[in-house]
Amino acid sequence: MRNITLSQAVNEALAEEMRRDETVFILGEDVAEAGTPFKVLSGLVEEFGTDRVIDTPISEPGFMGIAVGAAMTGTRPVVDLMFGDFIFLIMDQLCNQAAKTHYMSGGKLNVPLVVRTNLGATRRSAAQHSQSLHALVAHIPGLKVALPSSAYEAKGLMKTAIRDNNPVVIFEDKLMYNDKAPVPEEEYLIPFGVANIKREGSDITLIATSSMVQVCEAAADILAAEGISAEVIDPRTIVPLDEEALLKSARKTSRVIVVDEGHQSYGITGEIASRINEKAFYHLDAPVLRMGAMDVPVPFTPALEDLTVPTADAVAANARKLVSGEMIHAA
Amino acid sequence: MPHEVIMPALGMAQDTGLLVAWLKAPGDAVAVGDVLFEVETDKSTMEVEAQADGFLTDVSAKAGEDIPVGQVIAMISQTPDVTASAPASAAPPAAASDIPEGQIVIMPALGMAQDTGLIVAWHKAPGDAVTPSDILFEVETDKSTMEVEAGFEGFVAALLAEAGEEAPVGETIAVISTAKPANPVQRSRAKGTPAPAPATPAASTASKPATPATPAKSKPTPAQPVATDGRILASPKARRLALEQGLDLSRLIAAGHPQPYRVSDLEVLKALPTATPAGAAIAASRHLVAHIASDGFAEFARWAADAAGQKDPGALLAGLVAGSSGKAHVVAVERFGQIQTYTASANLRAAALSDDAPELLIRDLRGSRIATVRMGAETTPVLTIASAPEGFTITLECAEHQLGASEAITLLSNFAGRMEQPLRHLL
Amino acid sequence: MSPAKKKTNTEDYLRMYRQMVRIRSFEDNANQLYLSAKMPGLTHMYSGEEAVAVGICEALTDNDRITSTHRGHGHCVAKGAEFKEMFCELLGKEEGYCRGKGGSMHIADQSHGNLGANAIVGGSMGIATGAALTSKYLGRDDVAVCFFGDGATAQGLMYEAMNMAALWKLPVIYACENNGYSEYTKTEEIAAGSIIARAQAFGIEAHQVDGQDVLAVNALAQRLVDRARKGEGPFFIELMTYRYHGHHVGDINREYYRSKEEERDWKENRDPIIRFRSWLVEEGLASEAEIEAINAEVKKDAAEAVEYALNAKYPDPSEVDMHVFTDVKHALA
Repeated sequence: MRNITLSQAVNEALAEEMRRDETVFILGEDVAEAGTPFKVLSGLVEEFGTDRVIDTPISEPGFMGIAVGAAMTGTRPVVDLMFGDFIFLIMDQLCNQAAKTHYMSGGKLNVPLVVRTNLGATRRSAAQHSQSLHALVAHIPGLKVALPSSAYEAKGLMKTAIRDNNPVVIFEDKLMYNDKAPVPEEEYLIPFGVANIKREGSDITLIATSSMVQVCEAAADILAAEGISAEVIDPRTIVPLDEEALLKSARKTSRVIVVDEGHQSYGITGEIASRINEKAFYHLDAPVLRMGAMDVPVPFTPALEDLTVPTADAVAANARKLVSGEMIHAA
Repeated sequence: MPHEVIMPALGMAQDTGLLVAWLKAPGDAVAVGDVLFEVETDKSTMEVEAQADGFLTDVSAKAGEDIPVGQVIAMISQTPDVTASAPASAAPPAAASDIPEGQIVIMPALGMAQDTGLIVAWHKAPGDAVTPSDILFEVETDKSTMEVEAGFEGFVAALLAEAGEEAPVGETIAVISTAKPANPVQRSRAKGTPAPAPATPAASTASKPATPATPAKSKPTPAQPVATDGRILASPKARRLALEQGLDLSRLIAAGHPQPYRVSDLEVLKALPTATPAGAAIAASRHLVAHIASDGFAEFARWAADAAGQKDPGALLAGLVAGSSGKAHVVAVERFGQIQTYTASANLRAAALSDDAPELLIRDLRGSRIATVRMGAETTPVLTIASAPEGFTITLECAEHQLGASEAITLLSNFAGRMEQPLRHLL
Repeated sequence: MSPAKKKTNTEDYLRMYRQMVRIRSFEDNANQLYLSAKMPGLTHMYSGEEAVAVGICEALTDNDRITSTHRGHGHCVAKGAEFKEMFCELLGKEEGYCRGKGGSMHIADQSHGNLGANAIVGGSMGIATGAALTSKYLGRDDVAVCFFGDGATAQGLMYEAMNMAALWKLPVIYACENNGYSEYTKTEEIAAGSIIARAQAFGIEAHQVDGQDVLAVNALAQRLVDRARKGEGPFFIELMTYRYHGHHVGDINREYYRSKEEERDWKENRDPIIRFRSWLVEEGLASEAEIEAINAEVKKDAAEAVEYALNAKYPDPSEVDMHVFTDVKHALA
């Protein structure tokens, strides 16, 4: 199997779906000739033209609203939101309009659109270009949320998202655009709501999303050298969530750490930890730990920014505590 | 078909409207758009127009009344005559015709989002004289209990709900008349049936409630957190497995094994010697066995039940132990797998259920096939009663520090004697 | 009456009249349902603005899309909706257009091209513009009309959407119903400058029209819709109109922001239905008796629909987590 970058994987997914379905088009800021600042879309405008790769003004609420109306009337727009931080700008159109239309219309209107955007700190981009805000949209009923953790997932989840009849938000890890992974030549889709066991283990489960999957795999390597067998699971979509797979692993290892790059408080880690607590309590041999980004705006200086996100060493240290039975009062 | 005239909802959070005045009289011809009546809400006074052409009939509300929104207060009919049957759909029980005339007292809205109020007590009885500032009744809402003043001068002509009943906000629950009523009404809201009213109205005594007050708000005090001292700290999984496998986590504490316990600690627990626990806490144990040829207890228990009213054999056993020991007063009795703890003394009738930690345990195994036991010391001395080919055996097990040698012998001797001839206990 | 070209087809005029009476009748009944505490929640009355919705929607087909507002019953009726399903929706009944899940403020009828009322002021600016983008993208000649009030001109989304519509020459008509009040505040207190100048700044052709004159509104709408179909859009119309009721049915005591005299003047001298009715009679297109027959028929239809809706059943509790996603029957199962 060939290795391609996450950027190339997303680009391929969009090109394949646009060839397959003429109602699929892309709109957003600098998506055409510029191919986005991360160059993820480079080449698409050459194949599909500016009618289907549409440059918009810097008007996030405006083009998000236009995408909602277009989706309601027979097309499948892919909205390119340059930075995940800009999700605050489109909140009304995404959460009050797109998310609720199917329900408010009693099932008569559909909004099949995709918002592709990104997350992830440590690019030295400071507080307004570094956030991981997927928990905000995961909180709103009616939106599906996908978090690819490699080029393979990025392609398979994007293709599934475009074919879904609901609004889907995909957050790509912007630090991973140049990371290569094996991606099949032949077409494939990754179904939503199916977790991926990245690595099997027996002593502890590390549930990790997006950027944190790599971190947890590195932590599992550290632990393996010490004789601790860690299982790494990637839910791949947090709405819908493959709860059963996570519970199964929790029941098997009896110890769980949930790692996600969103802020730790009121976030994805708390939600997943809570479900494990509710549904696998009598199988737990240690408290379920959450590890998220620090509850601070992301600082600019590398000296501080690197402190704010979970690292492989920090995950391994917590895993050691849980496995050794050390009294845990706080992670 | 007659058109219903309804008390309209005018404000955003309005439950009732005050009917200020009728601008049409019963029998008057009315046309769409004619002003029928004026309503006052919290915000303002509004004119309400007729929605149909016809004649105003069946006027059931008077100026000055506060009327729940949605209630039918009149009809617009094809003829000026009163229709045969007035609409009853929206009329609350209080609107029934046998209510005396007078000022209406409604269930007040006391909270922000309150739909009903619980009448805790009436402070006036039917027929009582009232002044506007007299407390008429107490209401409980989700927030608190409030006293409500009569608001009018006169006599209590009707009480239309009983203490303990809930009434919707805006519903009429009492009537105050200017003249002393001849037949004051008192009834339950739920049944709408008259409650027995005093034959002669009681003299006005402000302090005397008309009906026994329902306990206002005795919210249960939250359970006190259990002190962590003495608790076993263990993971949910370790607890579940210990339960499933019949393992006693407290033996790990006795063995001095550090908490919290996890699944791996269960292996340590299983490895502990069964009779002699590891660790220094209980180094050795005493094991004494007595044999009794004839069972006097069964007959004694029957006698105690019939003659003395003591029907709990467990309480009898606890009393016999207390009498035998002279020292232990909190005794646990384990029979048929159930443990019951008593505060006991030599007075067998004085045995009472207790939540205190037991000082001694009696394990009655006579229903089982177990003949002899060697369990090792437990947290208290244990007396085990087991069946024998003739009569039964009584085994006392305890740690050395729990009972001295002579104390142990005395306890077992006394108890065995009492079990053989319980009447000795009474002497 | 405007010098609008007299239509040759009398039926069209009578249908326009009937549609305006249907809106008024629907609102009168909805108001009564609220006043008699039979309708859950609040609602916003379209009474007084009938000529706007009817004048525009009579220029549209079922393939043309509209987006509506919280004051949306008029748009819904004018676009072809049935009383029965509308009253059922207002009362939260299963047979409502949205199975009772939307209610007055979210009523939608996609079978006639109504993409739904929106309870966020200005919230549908993008949606209507997006519907126009679909039309252009798929090479259709459908037009989208975005209804909104003067209050929505204060929302930034409008300017973003109009900018893109003008850049991309989308077949969308922005219909600003200027009823003089932004909720409880006079429009002149919330809108600086000219309203049509806002659209003109983007190079969008903008018109102001008497929103109480259904013939004038319809004539303008016909012209602009035809041109939009040919790719000459977008367009902007400011329709000068008036709402007879308060911001919503519970806004009763409103003299602090507008006088009863003003309300009376609009009702007595500028009512769109009275004006159109007398024109129909003067022109000999209908007799008084024929007009009265239409009125009586509509009134009866409305009464029957109300009765039907009052007795209709509520949705089953199992519906509560249905329609969250298209492909999941019960989202919480």
